[in-house]
Amino acid sequence: MFGRIVAVFFACAGLFTLAGPVAAQEKSAVRPGFVLKPGSARILLFRPRILVGAQSTGAMFEPNADWTEQARENLGKALAAAQTTLGNTVVVAPEAIGKAAARLAAYQALFATVADAVVEYQFFAGNRLPTKKRAGQFDWTLGPGVADLAKDTGCDYALFIGTEDQYGSTGRKIFQFVAAVARVPIVSGSHKGQAGLVDLRTGDLVWLNADMRMGGDVRDPAGASKRMMQLLEDFPGRSLDAAANAESRVATR
Amino acid sequence: MRVATRLALATTLVVLFGLSSAAGETPAAVPLPPYAGAYQPQTVDERGAWMMADEAERSLRDSPALIGDPALNAYLQRVLCRTVGEDRCRGIRIYILRVADVNASMMANGTLQIWSGILLRMQNEAELAGVLGHEFAHFERRHQLNHFRKARTATDIAAWAGLAGGRYGPTVAFSAQTSIYAFGREQETESDMLSSRYMQASHYDGHSVGAFWERLMDEADATALGRHRRSTRFDRVSYFDTHPATLERARTFHAAAASAPGGGDDEHAAWTAALARWREAWLEDQLKLNDFGGTEYLLAQLGRDGWTQDLLFARGELYRMRGNPRDLIAAADFYREAIILAPDHAEAHRGLGLTLLRRGREVDAETGRAELRRYLTLKPAATDAAMMAALLS
Repeated sequence: MFGRIVAVFFACAGLFTLAGPVAAQEKSAVRPGFVLKPGSARILLFRPRILVGAQSTGAMFEPNADWTEQARENLGKALAAAQTTLGNTVVVAPEAIGKAAARLAAYQALFATVADAVVEYQFFAGNRLPTKKRAGQFDWTLGPGVADLAKDTGCDYALFIGTEDQYGSTGRKIFQFVAAVARVPIVSGSHKGQAGLVDLRTGDLVWLNADMRMGGDVRDPAGASKRMMQLLEDFPGRSLDAAANAESRVATR
Repeated sequence: MRVATRLALATTLVVLFGLSSAAGETPAAVPLPPYAGAYQPQTVDERGAWMMADEAERSLRDSPALIGDPALNAYLQRVLCRTVGEDRCRGIRIYILRVADVNASMMANGTLQIWSGILLRMQNEAELAGVLGHEFAHFERRHQLNHFRKARTATDIAAWAGLAGGRYGPTVAFSAQTSIYAFGREQETESDMLSSRYMQASHYDGHSVGAFWERLMDEADATALGRHRRSTRFDRVSYFDTHPATLERARTFHAAAASAPGGGDDEHAAWTAALARWREAWLEDQLKLNDFGGTEYLLAQLGRDGWTQDLLFARGELYRMRGNPRDLIAAADFYREAIILAPDHAEAHRGLGLTLLRRGREVDAETGRAELRRYLTLKPAATDAAMMAALLS
């Protein structure tokens, strides 16, 4: 009996990632009153957090180094191409060493935590904190200490990008199909992405885009530029014409 | 679910597992050991495991908890090299983290992290060699990779069995899940055995590691007693235990050492010299765990070769923090003994001063204020100088 209860618990907890009401969630927000005029700002880009792999039949993540390397290269190129449409200069931050590296690591961890909090306590409307319920409100910050990251770079904003892709393995897809026959809904694969812009003077989070169901296969160049377009969707200050052009370019590929 | 559907499911299951094992990657015939030169991971799974480890190592390298002390790091690396051999130890990077808990772990790519809490509890170099050898064995035998593969197969079986349901489905799923933990425990035992062999080859005393495990059990009992909890059973494992029973691990090392001819060194003096600079700081971390029973046991063990000023001071702090009237008398005595050994120990004067003030007797209070004044003379720039001055006015 005990074994059965535990097994059922496992089945519910990990193995059967059921389709949830993700669609009800908001995906992005801009700090009220924030405007980024095209051509006015220098944006510092930190090393994107990119993870690509497969999803096993039992829903375990199988990291794949080759796919991740391809994705890093493709997304890098896609961002360089997208830069022109953003209307601002994106500067790739050099790899930090010594104390600067420790500080950067701390702020990257803080950004990840704050971004997760935004998704959980603001974007997910049913779970919104009482202090985050006012319409149009978007008030999150990393604190003014962020200014240290921008020293000697002359940059005004920091851009954080992260993606995590788990492609359903053949086994997972067959499992999904068989489960569907038995009327059990199973999700195969998971594609999450996150992009955020932080004001380097105040530490305020001025824009965040967090999507738990992203499109575009980051393993090939065309898919990666589609993903980058989705990540930079609603980027503040992006000129609309340029954006439309870029999107049509991607669509025709 | 109808019988026919269930049969179809079972058939699919069998066919799938046949397929997946056939389609799976065949590993190279005799893979190079992971510590060989600038080894590059070979299969898709191994490259993936190393990539995850590389990313984790990046953040470990930039961690604020990292202890960068070059002398201490060089010492640990030397002990590892003596234990496993000069040619093998070069595949490992050791990261010492300031965490007041007992742990050491190895990642797939040779990243070894060891916490200050485990170092604080060791009494000689042989104990460190045993732990480093154990972690190295995980790396040498590719335990992370093999565990990942085992877990993947087991969760695949659990998923299908859970979906099939019926009378046996949940039991099969449960067995598959627990088999992952059993597999992990086998790997730990293998690492302990290999570690014992390394210690014999490098002439370290294997009994030390057995004694280390025995002290950890006693300390856990002391902690439990102090917190009015039931003590842990050390002679059996449950389904979800990641390691073999502690008693069994102690026995493994004792048995291996007993069969080794000629005993071995424990290098106690080298160990004491290497750790001297850090012990006081780590004892301070230990005090913050608010574990009176365990800490009292630990201090008694460390004080076996004589009570030094850092141990006496820590014991004074432990008793002052609990703060019963009788504790304050004991604390004052410990501080005084520390001050006899080290008259300029500023924090001991501070502790003694605060203890005497808290005893609430006017005769003690005057001496207490004198001790606090001594503290401020010895350490005028102390962060709590203003607060102590307020107690004096």
